[in-house]
Amino acid sequence: MTISSIALTDNIRPLTEETALSVRHLSFYYGHKEALSDITLNIHRNCITAIMGPSGCGKSTLLRAMNRIYDLNPTHRASGEIMIDGTNILSPGIDILSLRKKIGMVFQKPTPFPMSIYDNIAFGIKLYEKLSRAEMAVRVEQALRAAALWDEVKDNLNASGNSLSGGQQQRLCIARTIAIKPDIILMDEPTSALDPIATQKIEELMVTLKEDYTIAIVTHNLQQAARISDYAAFLYMGHLIEFRDTPTLFSKPKHPQTADYLHGRFG
Amino acid sequence: MNKNLLRIRKAKNAIATAIALTSVGLGVAILMVILYEIVTQGIAYITADTLTKTTPPPGGTGGLANSIVGSLIMVVMAMLIAIPTGVMGGVYLSEYQRRTRWGSVIRFCNDTLLSTPSICVGIFAYEMMVKPMHGFSGYAGAVALAMIAVPVILRTSESFLILVPDSLREAAAALGATKEQITLSIGFRAARSGILTGLLIALSRIMGETAPLLFTALNNQFWSLNLSHPMANLPSTIYQLAMSPYEEWHKLAWAGALLITSFVLGINLLSRYMNSYSQRAEK
Repeated sequence: MTISSIALTDNIRPLTEETALSVRHLSFYYGHKEALSDITLNIHRNCITAIMGPSGCGKSTLLRAMNRIYDLNPTHRASGEIMIDGTNILSPGIDILSLRKKIGMVFQKPTPFPMSIYDNIAFGIKLYEKLSRAEMAVRVEQALRAAALWDEVKDNLNASGNSLSGGQQQRLCIARTIAIKPDIILMDEPTSALDPIATQKIEELMVTLKEDYTIAIVTHNLQQAARISDYAAFLYMGHLIEFRDTPTLFSKPKHPQTADYLHGRFG
Repeated sequence: MNKNLLRIRKAKNAIATAIALTSVGLGVAILMVILYEIVTQGIAYITADTLTKTTPPPGGTGGLANSIVGSLIMVVMAMLIAIPTGVMGGVYLSEYQRRTRWGSVIRFCNDTLLSTPSICVGIFAYEMMVKPMHGFSGYAGAVALAMIAVPVILRTSESFLILVPDSLREAAAALGATKEQITLSIGFRAARSGILTGLLIALSRIMGETAPLLFTALNNQFWSLNLSHPMANLPSTIYQLAMSPYEEWHKLAWAGALLITSFVLGINLLSRYMNSYSQRAEK
C-alpha cells in the first residue's frame, strides 16, 4: 500500500462559503520525528469537521496544532501555516492567550477542575471578564444550558465537578469551553471514554452547537463521524489521504486507502 | 495441576504474611511501650504549676511555661520562613524544572539536606548567625529550625504537585490560563491536602528538634520573649532537666516529653482528619 501525499480534496460541496480556519502545508515534529506531513485543509464555519484515521495517524496532533496547546512541550514544533481571520497562528509573535479564547478545546478524558460545578464554569470567564456576582450567575447558567447540563445540576451547583458522572463531566467541560464564547471548538475524541447513552447526548449537543460554533472533532469512531459531521478528513501515517464532504467520503471514497479504512480492512 | 506446587505457594504466602505481621507488631509494640512510659510517667506532673511557672532553680520547683512559649515562638517563626520557601521551591521543581538536569540537581541537593543530621544544621546556623551576631539568639534558633523544615515542605509540595494530572493543566491552558494561573488555581487546589500534610509533618518534626537549638537558641531559665537573646525551649529544657540529679526535675522532664508527644500526635491526627475530610469533599 503506498501513501499518497497528494490529498484528494476536490468536489467539496460548499455548505458554507466561509472558512473559519485554514491549514496550509502544515508539518509537525515531535523532536526529530515527523508526525504530520504537508497537511492542507479548510475548516468551514458552522460545520462539524471530523478528522478520522487509525491510532497514531496524527489526527490528535493536527487538532492540537490548531490552538497551539503543543506549546506546553518545548520539543514539539510545527511548520507551515494555520490561518484564522487572516492571521497565521503559528507565527511566533501571536498572542496565545487570545488565540485560546477564540479556540476552545474539549479533551478525550473529562477534566473537571477540582472545584465546584459553578466555579468550573466561572474559572474561564474570570480570565477574560470582570463580572458582578449576578452577571456571572447568568453566564454560568447560559453555559450549562447550552451544554444541556443545567437541568441535571441546577440544584447542586456547589457540588464538586468530580461528583458528576463521566458523561456529565464531559458536558461540564463543553460548558466551560463555550462559556468563554469561542469561535471554534476543538474536540479530541470527546466520547471515547463514555458509554453509548452519554455519547448520544454529546453527539446531539454537537449538532445543536454548530448553529453557533465551528467544530472540529477527532474521532476513531466511523459511525460517529458519519452521523454528525459535514466534512470528513482521513489521515494515515501523518498524511492527509482524503478530505471532502461526509456523505461523499463515506459513499464514494476516491482513494482506495480511504475505502479500505471505511470497510474495516485496517485501522 | 501440581498439588505439590500449590502447597509450596501457599506455604510461601503464609510465611510472607507472618513476616509482615511480625514487623508491624514489632513497630507498633515499640511505639506503644514508648507512649505508655511517657504517659504514665508524665501525666501526674501536668499540673497548673508546670504550665504557668518558669524553669526551676537547682533543687527548687518550677514549671515549663517559658520553655513552651519559647518553643512556640521559634517554631512559628521557623514555619513563617519555611512555608513560602518550601512551597515555592516545590512549585519551581514541579512546574518549571520537572524533567530538566537543573531540576534533578536541585532535587538531589534537597534530598541531601532532608537527611542531613540536625546537629550539622545546628553547627551551620551557629557559624552563620550566632558567631557574627556575637551571641545565642531566638532568631538563630528559628532559622536553624526553618532549615530543617524547608526540605520537608519542598519535597512534599513537589511530590503532590507532580501527582496533579497534566490533563488538568492542559485543560486550563486551553481556556487561556497563564502558567501562574494554572499553578495557583488548579495545581494548588488539586494538591492542597497533600501540601498541607507536608506542612504539618514539618511542623511536628521541628517541634521536637533539640540539636539545632543547642547551638543557636541555647536555653533560658527565665521568661524570654526577646528573640535576640537566648531563648527557652522545650527540647533543650527536657534535656537539661533529665540530665540533672534532682528527682523533681526528672518529673518535670517527663511532663515536657508528654507535652511534646501529645502535640506531635495531635498534629498528625489533624492532618489525617484534614486529608480524609478533603477526600470526602471531593466526592
